[in-house]
Amino acid sequence: MTVASEKMSSLTIVSVSETIYNNLITSMVQDIVSRITSQKQLLDSRYPDMSPLFYDPQGKLDIHGQPKIQESSIYFRCNNCDRDISANRYAAHLERCMSRGNRKT
Amino acid sequence: MTSTDKEAMDLRAQIQQYLVESGNYERISNKLAQRLLDEGWMEQVKKITRETMEDDNTTNFSEVLKRVEPEAVNLVSSNTKDEIMQQIKAFLYDIVDTQ
Ligand SMILES: [Zn+2]
Repeated sequence: MTVASEKMSSLTIVSVSETIYNNLITSMVQDIVSRITSQKQLLDSRYPDMSPLFYDPQGKLDIHGQPKIQESSIYFRCNNCDRDISANRYAAHLERCMSRGNRKT
Repeated sequence: MTSTDKEAMDLRAQIQQYLVESGNYERISNKLAQRLLDEGWMEQVKKITRETMEDDNTTNFSEVLKRVEPEAVNLVSSNTKDEIMQQIKAFLYDIVDTQ
């Protein structure tokens, strides 16, 4: 393709380049904005009561705005012996509990 | 509209069409997208979009775009803009018969 030079007098290469560059950039912005807005519309319609995740700049509270819970105060029920075992001793308990169970069978 | 305006618009459309057909539009567009991703522009624009939706309490595409677009265009680094402009200009010098 060759464009006659007298037609170019009204348009410089730079201004056409600017137009093309602007088309590229604005279509990218439009793409991002349309993805983010429709994502948000979908979330809002699916979960109308959804609140944003909590952010603590000090790094002390979790995404629900709660402080860390001591693991020693949480108990799990052991399926093998049916006792409640402190969460931070669960692995050690299993080692003993499971081997005892194996010996029994 | 004067006839020269019309000619200018036709010429612009003709150049864009050739740019697309030759595969150069896609090549330049991909390169621009990669640069913008690398320099964190994509993430920044996403962040501004989320903040605008929050501040204006809207998810309406045109309303959000109107606020985000000028800022996003300004946020492109001059390195990236210059590089892409160079490529487009080089392509145009190739096809346009200047005197
Ligand atoms: Zn047990």
